[in-house]
Amino acid sequence: MYINAASTISHQPTFRNAGFSKDIKPLEKSSEIISPNYKDFIDAGLLRRMSKILRMSVTAAKDCLSQANIEQPGAIIAGTGLGCLQDTEKFLNTSLTIEGLLPPTSFIQSTHNTIAGQISLSIGNHGYNMTHTQNTLSFEHALIDTSLLLNEGKDYILTGAADEFIPFLDVAAGQLFPGSAPTLTSAASFFLFSNMKTDSSVAQVRDVTTVGLVQDIDAGIDSFLSDSFLNVSELDLVLYSDITAAGSLDSVAHQYFNGHYHTQSKLIDYTTLSGLYPTNSAFAMHYAVDRIQDNKEIKRVLILNRLNKINLGLTLIESLEA
Amino acid sequence: MAVKITGLGIISAIGNTVAENLWSLENSRSGIAPVNYLDSKRALLVGEVKYSNRDLADHLGIKSPPISRTSLLGLAAAREAWGSNRHTKELRSGIISATSVGGMDTTEQFYSHFLDQNNPDYSVLKCHDSGSTTERIAAELGISGYINTLSTACSSGANAIMLGARLIEQGKLDRVLVGGTDALANFTIDGFRSLMIYDENWCRPFDESRTGLNLGEGAAFLLLENDKSIRFSGNVPICCLSGWANAADAYHQTASSPEGTGATMAIQNAIEVSGLSALDISYVNAHGTGTKNNDLSESTAMINVFGDNLPDFSSTKPFTGHTLAAAGAIEAVFSVLAIQHGLIFPNLNYKNPISETGLVPITELQTQQPVLAVLSNSFGFGGNNSSLVFSVHR
Repeated sequence: MYINAASTISHQPTFRNAGFSKDIKPLEKSSEIISPNYKDFIDAGLLRRMSKILRMSVTAAKDCLSQANIEQPGAIIAGTGLGCLQDTEKFLNTSLTIEGLLPPTSFIQSTHNTIAGQISLSIGNHGYNMTHTQNTLSFEHALIDTSLLLNEGKDYILTGAADEFIPFLDVAAGQLFPGSAPTLTSAASFFLFSNMKTDSSVAQVRDVTTVGLVQDIDAGIDSFLSDSFLNVSELDLVLYSDITAAGSLDSVAHQYFNGHYHTQSKLIDYTTLSGLYPTNSAFAMHYAVDRIQDNKEIKRVLILNRLNKINLGLTLIESLEA
Repeated sequence: MAVKITGLGIISAIGNTVAENLWSLENSRSGIAPVNYLDSKRALLVGEVKYSNRDLADHLGIKSPPISRTSLLGLAAAREAWGSNRHTKELRSGIISATSVGGMDTTEQFYSHFLDQNNPDYSVLKCHDSGSTTERIAAELGISGYINTLSTACSSGANAIMLGARLIEQGKLDRVLVGGTDALANFTIDGFRSLMIYDENWCRPFDESRTGLNLGEGAAFLLLENDKSIRFSGNVPICCLSGWANAADAYHQTASSPEGTGATMAIQNAIEVSGLSALDISYVNAHGTGTKNNDLSESTAMINVFGDNLPDFSSTKPFTGHTLAAAGAIEAVFSVLAIQHGLIFPNLNYKNPISETGLVPITELQTQQPVLAVLSNSFGFGGNNSSLVFSVHR
């Protein structure tokens, strides 16, 4: 399936900034989200009620549509690991502390499908509208759904992923994973996919798979590559995430690819760039697309998602020439 | 299209097994009663599963906490649907669950302790996210590979069933457990109260005097198999899932359009996918929550699609309460039971038709009916509308 547009709002200068992948550096702990002027994309009255995840998602989605020059996509699919946390926490607080009549807005906007729902509302779209929430594999599942739809004859599918940081996550992470202090971030990435190559196509997704409760990672990677008749040596770049061994040579990616690469420059831990959020493989996809557009030498990129060590996500992205 | 259904599992306010649910449906026994198991500050009417968390965990042989009630309910239903099927490397198996609250039932207790600075147990947060509720069910059943969770509010369960069917149709999986689970939580009770659509009396779907819903909890799963899987398992198809569709209403974040735009599209498209005509539908298991808005909008959609030839219809929510993400799956099991046993279930608590539409649901159990095809509707927040068509296996 072809990628006709990509848009990301994150802690990096990704939004409307082609070539960003050349310049970005690993995130500092103190980094903040780089927000566009949301008023340029969303009606002020609606914007006022929208949480961070909704602003980011609706804006990135609309930016994709305008890049691909599509008014109405055939479907809207979102992946989110933790959903609309800001509104969930707000309503939880309200419901535990206030007696009597409660304001409903944060409850209304707490459901995971508010993201895809608000995109459909904001453009008046009546197509298939879906929300996948399989923690670190939510985006990959959204991509698999996209490929099913394209096979069923739907076209121009708007698919993305978003997660938002709330300060409580730092508290919880500190308690659950003492000593780790990850850089937790917010971001939204959306993409416009089509069956056929179009004038705005920038790359393609050759294949995507998920293995939940994975037992044999090497076998999973082997069979994924052999399904596409590829040798490891044909991969020009491997973007991986392996939080249990971030940056260390013990990571699955390093172990698997060590024998095949003499240079480590082909292995990039994307969580150091995106920060940690459950759907950051969507950031990796935009990063891959940007690298492919920037450098003709890069034809095949594998995204190896091991953010949660019990799961494996694999996505193969190719240049149009590959 | 036709994907074979070979297994069913359910736990709800009206029973802990398929057989118990069927008995309650046949005997007009509602499971809605004042709150008993949930630690709640209000004595509202709810459709609770009649088990404490401890009893559920014991019953299911769960050794390692923490586990959310959502996972416990889901596991009870998924295990019944899976039955004595064997694992094999020859078949690609998967599980798709739906949930709207995930582990919120445990998170809200944690958060209360957190706010009070009263020794909050952070470990329960590991079962908060919706995906982890499904992973826990999969792990207990020994399923790995395609494990996915959908969350589209009240249509989630129907969407999980639809996605499973599409994965089988496209040859991505040989068999898949599909369904949904949601535990009752104060979070959702307070949420629907804040919207002023929680009826403090019995919910009355499609009745002129309806004022809202009663929440419920539960889970249901169906086993879908392709021919290769059935050759291996030897399972006998109960009936088929033959049509499915999802459409966005794009009208309002919580309210349905008065014209029933999204609902009409979902129903029409699901019937079209099934290859049947509207006249072939024997029974509609309606979404019928009992809110002013849903029941009027859904009635309008049914009139849009069926005109003067409206089949028998009813809402079974007065039995179970509105079980949110589990509703589409629970009502899918009821739809299959309708076909399997030739039954049409009554719409309890109904007296007078909605003045705008005049539609009259079935109010007494109908037996020995030729139920050949059932339409099941599930409509959710965000204008998320889904319809499924079940039909006899020929």
